[in-house]
Amino acid sequence: MTQLNLDFSLNYKAFKFAINQTMDLTGITGIFGHSGSGKSTLLRAIAGLEKDINGSIVFDGKALIDTSKKLCVKPERRNISLVFQDSRLFPHLTVRDNLKYAAKRCVNSQLNITDILTLTELDQLADANVDDLSSGQKQRVALARALLTEPKLLLLDEPLSALDQLSKTKLLNLIVKVQQQLNIPILYVSHSVDELQQVCDNMLILSQGEVINYGNIHQTIHQLNFLCASLPSEQLIHQQTSLSLPIISTDNGQGLMKLALADQEILFPRLPGKFIKAQQLRCFILASDISICLSEPQNSTIVNHLSGSISAIESSSIDKATHSVLVTVVCSGQEFFVHISTFSQQKLALSINQPVYLQFKAGAVRTYLY
Amino acid sequence: MPSPDLLALVVTLKMAAITTVILLLIGTPLAWYLAKMTSRFKVIIEAIVALPLVLPPTVLGFYLLIAFSPQHLPGEIWQQVTGKQLAFSFSAIVIGSVLYSLPFVVQPLQKAFEQLGGSLLEAGAMLGAGPIDRFFTLVLPLTKASFITAASLGFAHTVGEFGVILMIGGNIPGETRVLSIALFDHVEAFDYAKAHVLAISLLIGSMILLASVYLLNLPRRATGKVN
Repeated sequence: MTQLNLDFSLNYKAFKFAINQTMDLTGITGIFGHSGSGKSTLLRAIAGLEKDINGSIVFDGKALIDTSKKLCVKPERRNISLVFQDSRLFPHLTVRDNLKYAAKRCVNSQLNITDILTLTELDQLADANVDDLSSGQKQRVALARALLTEPKLLLLDEPLSALDQLSKTKLLNLIVKVQQQLNIPILYVSHSVDELQQVCDNMLILSQGEVINYGNIHQTIHQLNFLCASLPSEQLIHQQTSLSLPIISTDNGQGLMKLALADQEILFPRLPGKFIKAQQLRCFILASDISICLSEPQNSTIVNHLSGSISAIESSSIDKATHSVLVTVVCSGQEFFVHISTFSQQKLALSINQPVYLQFKAGAVRTYLY
Repeated sequence: MPSPDLLALVVTLKMAAITTVILLLIGTPLAWYLAKMTSRFKVIIEAIVALPLVLPPTVLGFYLLIAFSPQHLPGEIWQQVTGKQLAFSFSAIVIGSVLYSLPFVVQPLQKAFEQLGGSLLEAGAMLGAGPIDRFFTLVLPLTKASFITAASLGFAHTVGEFGVILMIGGNIPGETRVLSIALFDHVEAFDYAKAHVLAISLLIGSMILLASVYLLNLPRRATGKVN
């Protein structure tokens, strides 16, 4: 497995960054944090664009920088490519020539431009002027261009931040497809947990220039539900249950798909993309979209009812201010997070280990991957 | 034997062409350095580069004349290396012109490099392009218009030079007698007819050169290209 060892610090007048973290790079690793948490700085440091680093960065056993040995590999020789938030396409070149620029400088290139144009769905735009492209198209070109350098590690710095929802969905799917087909480890920076939830295997959380959590995507998101009250980025985080479940039916005949949660089922609106049975689907349910019942609801339009028992009831400083609590309910071994008011909690006299039913609408099961 | 005025034209063009080439070679790295520089000394270097814009040419010429004389170090070294005197030579007027026209080349280039910024160059580095590669494949094509402006202004300004050349070059036909000096000679000799020919040629020549530069640098939309 490819490893990335980060052990360095950076000192700017208004900003300090320090990290000591080893990461196993499988699939896509998310880097989450609010603006000013140092996530872009981290990517730029790995890419070699950040000067004044003190310490070392070792990728796949090779030091990219080690200030104690006065060693620093130049950015153009690291075999790492970075896709910037603002695309940074070369305005004097067409789409194809932008791609050629990368391909020409790649040693022992295996990929060809036509294949990458097809993979990134840019065939029709190959001869277009880059100034004539939409933001989504520009980011696809930037991604295609970075792929053609055949990097050992691909860095994405908020690649979706300037895009509308449809383009976001399209590009997210493309990123997943690219990762699976080319098998390049990816570090993906974003300030949106939802975005990272959809595509990442692991996640690193930064706050004010320090790592505050690292691990499996579902676990870190669930831990974030409790951590977020202490983070300055609290407003950006939607407390949620992060799921990856197998599809057991792609259409129940009434426009709904079914997911299996051990012996229970979750229904959600059928997605336009092609899905097959047993395929794992990444989805999330916001804590504010789930409600709790003491008995199984029989006469309700809400289609999803899951039985489980309460494992925790927590109230952060923010929850206290808004008179709400975060209830953790375990259903068939899976933790679900439910945000309810203290009023409801007291009305139902909810307590630990109490058996309850969760209910949520089909539409509350969210995914961008279709 | 060509006419003295034709000879002056040849000397002028030769001087301006050589000066422009040297200016681009020196001016490009200097402008690059200034564009990237953040230290306090930047303003001092900028002021020195801009000095010829405000200084009377005779002041620059006077100091250069002293420096170029065999009694002073630069002139002495030159004489030892080449065996010839530096003052009142073609080389002297080229050196003088380079100093005198420096801001006309450095300033547009510096501005262009500052505007270009570092972001596209970082993108180039991420695609495997080293610094020299990036200069020729990104900086040069993206700041082409400023290079044309810089070269043309440097050339035109050198052609129009008078004071510095008079001080350090004198008036040696075929060597340091340039058009502007030849024109001055004709006026001194009350040969207004010949003076008119030179004056109008310089005027029209400079006009054409500048108009071509501005035409080349017109924004794309004005030339009918749809964006």
